[in-house]
Amino acid sequence: MKRLALVAMLGLAAAMPVQAQTVVKHLHITSIPAEVELMNSIAADFMAANPDIKVELPFLENEAFKAKLTTLLQSADAPDVFHSWGGGVFYEQAAAGVLRPVEDVLSDEAKANVGTAGVSAFTAPDGHMYGVARDVSEVVLWYNKTLFTQAGVDPASMGTWDGFLAGVQKFKDAGITPIAIGAKDKWPAHFWWSKLVVRLAGKDGFEAAARGEGDGFAGEDFVKAGEYFLQLSELEPWQEGFLAASYGDASGLFGDGKAAMHLMGDWDYGAMKDNSADKDGIPDDELGILPFPTIEGGKGDPTDTLGGLGGVLFSKNASDAAVKWIEFFNSTENQAKYAKDAYYIPIAKGAADVMTNPFKVQIGQNISGAHWHALFFDQALGPNVGGVVNDISAELAGNSMSAQEAAEMIKEAVDDSL
Amino acid sequence: MASLATSIDLGATAGSRKRRFIERNSLPALLLFLPPALILFTLFVVLPMVDAATFSFFDWNGYGPITDFVGFENYADVLTHRNFGTAVRNSLIVVVVSLVVQLPLAMWCAIALAERGVHINVLRTLFFLPFMLAEVAAGLIWNFVYDGNYGLLPAIGDAIGVDMPFVLGDKFWVIPAIMLVITWKYFGFHMMIFIAGLQSIPSEVIEAARLDGVKRWQIVRHIKIPMIRSAIVISVFFAITGALQLFDLIIPLSNGGPSHSSHTIVTFLYQFGILRMKLGFGGAISVILFIACVIVALAYRRILFKVEQN
Repeated sequence: MKRLALVAMLGLAAAMPVQAQTVVKHLHITSIPAEVELMNSIAADFMAANPDIKVELPFLENEAFKAKLTTLLQSADAPDVFHSWGGGVFYEQAAAGVLRPVEDVLSDEAKANVGTAGVSAFTAPDGHMYGVARDVSEVVLWYNKTLFTQAGVDPASMGTWDGFLAGVQKFKDAGITPIAIGAKDKWPAHFWWSKLVVRLAGKDGFEAAARGEGDGFAGEDFVKAGEYFLQLSELEPWQEGFLAASYGDASGLFGDGKAAMHLMGDWDYGAMKDNSADKDGIPDDELGILPFPTIEGGKGDPTDTLGGLGGVLFSKNASDAAVKWIEFFNSTENQAKYAKDAYYIPIAKGAADVMTNPFKVQIGQNISGAHWHALFFDQALGPNVGGVVNDISAELAGNSMSAQEAAEMIKEAVDDSL
Repeated sequence: MASLATSIDLGATAGSRKRRFIERNSLPALLLFLPPALILFTLFVVLPMVDAATFSFFDWNGYGPITDFVGFENYADVLTHRNFGTAVRNSLIVVVVSLVVQLPLAMWCAIALAERGVHINVLRTLFFLPFMLAEVAAGLIWNFVYDGNYGLLPAIGDAIGVDMPFVLGDKFWVIPAIMLVITWKYFGFHMMIFIAGLQSIPSEVIEAARLDGVKRWQIVRHIKIPMIRSAIVISVFFAITGALQLFDLIIPLSNGGPSHSSHTIVTFLYQFGILRMKLGFGGAISVILFIACVIVALAYRRILFKVEQN
């Protein structure tokens, strides 16, 4: 009788596979409808091949995501997989034990697919790998060729810092806004400080300062970065009302052809169009990328890039099914779909080969040829120090703080969190 | 908040009734009605408050166990923070503007609109509308009004030939700009409280005064305002506590900027405590704010009590 019941129950279980499904919750921050659709279709393919796994794709808006994640990860409702920009925030999560190490579960193929840079980006200081890299991005100096011609500025003359300042002055004289900046959001301003630090201090200098060695961020190179920033700000190169402008405002201004340059990530290629008044933005043949000016005596390598290396992390309760899903999601075949539509530059080996957009192709080459791909400083340094970097950058853009004070504020924040 | 206001408004008459009710069936009623409120209050108000107070003595980023005891260091950090003084100053400005500009304006409108009539009802609704709008929506609307490129304000400036600043990006103008929105948003609420009070004044009193030849202004000064004293007491209390807790209008308007010049105490807490993951620091701010609110509440009661005795 007992055995009969058991058989009946097993039969029932087989008849209802739904109940035996493992649910994988993948929390993402993708808001572009077509991109979400692509993600849904990849999940549908995966579920068709793995009927025992159900992939759910909950969404949180960027800012809400940052604010809620801490609580969410420690609740019963934690996602199995979630978006991450790596860096300081990731290290804090790893140290707190809210993540699952996956180096033993993840296939060698999946590891090889993201390369050494991808593996090390999601390996915490404790030596464990907690996530999988998905994409790379770079902050570049976008410029509007039409406005350059109009003001009589030769893009080639902007290669050095002095040449750059002279060019900015030419735009001022011609009555054209030289640079768009969304200083209300602060992080767009911190790209200027970051790029100057990449040039002046280089990889070793930055990393030593982040560890609090010597004078840290109050050291000579960092004070100099602030001074160079102020040299630029003194020319009043930004659009009117830049302190009240969000990233979207600045991006739209540039897209509308009302500012000659915009220092922004490669995603601005699409965002600039979307934020512009006519939704077309600057046509490809009038858009260009300038190398960030070099600075004489700078310790950075000329090939150094600044940007992101994003991916996903596994929370502590993530199942093996979650790892399986990410292996599928991050496969070259699936990531090539993202590359094709230019949503981002995938890290998966060969996926970016299908990119046809010339700007994305160039950026992809920049990053792969970089001596150092510096992670966004506000992410790399964690929320607290990163927040201070954003603060002082907005102040420097507004010419309302000395370079010395700015450098000391960052050092203080670093000392505080060590 | 609106329902709270009406319930308090009725408080004067309900007081005696309540006392009788409790005397007659106090125990069953207590057992029936107290637990839900008490449990909810404990779970969602008292416990988080105790938590926040606990965090304030630790260095904690929100992850994992709380172990790093730092004593009063967080409090010292808050008090010496370069932007805390600005936040306190701004909160005080909001309190003062609420009391000195918003409430008199509300009173003036209430006296003008306390009568009955169709056009009066229309005006009253118009003035009350901003209060019904969600704070974030109101903030976004005014963000468009103030926008230096496409906004209404620069358009008005162009029309009268004045070059308007980008108010939300200007360290000086951002505060007056926010004050204007706050006054616009909340004066209708206080106006409604005052109107409710004014309408409860027996018309015979006013009529008798008129027959005695009392002038209009004197009626307002010596009859109407003293007779709606309880409504004013409530309004002042709401204005002060509301000003101290101001948060959701600031975020869409200026997000505390430029250069952290427009933070209130609560947006300061959110920016530096929550977003920067320094929950101990945030806890210390919230404890300081809590103490400030308790002091205000106690002082307010005391002052009222003294006025009552006189």
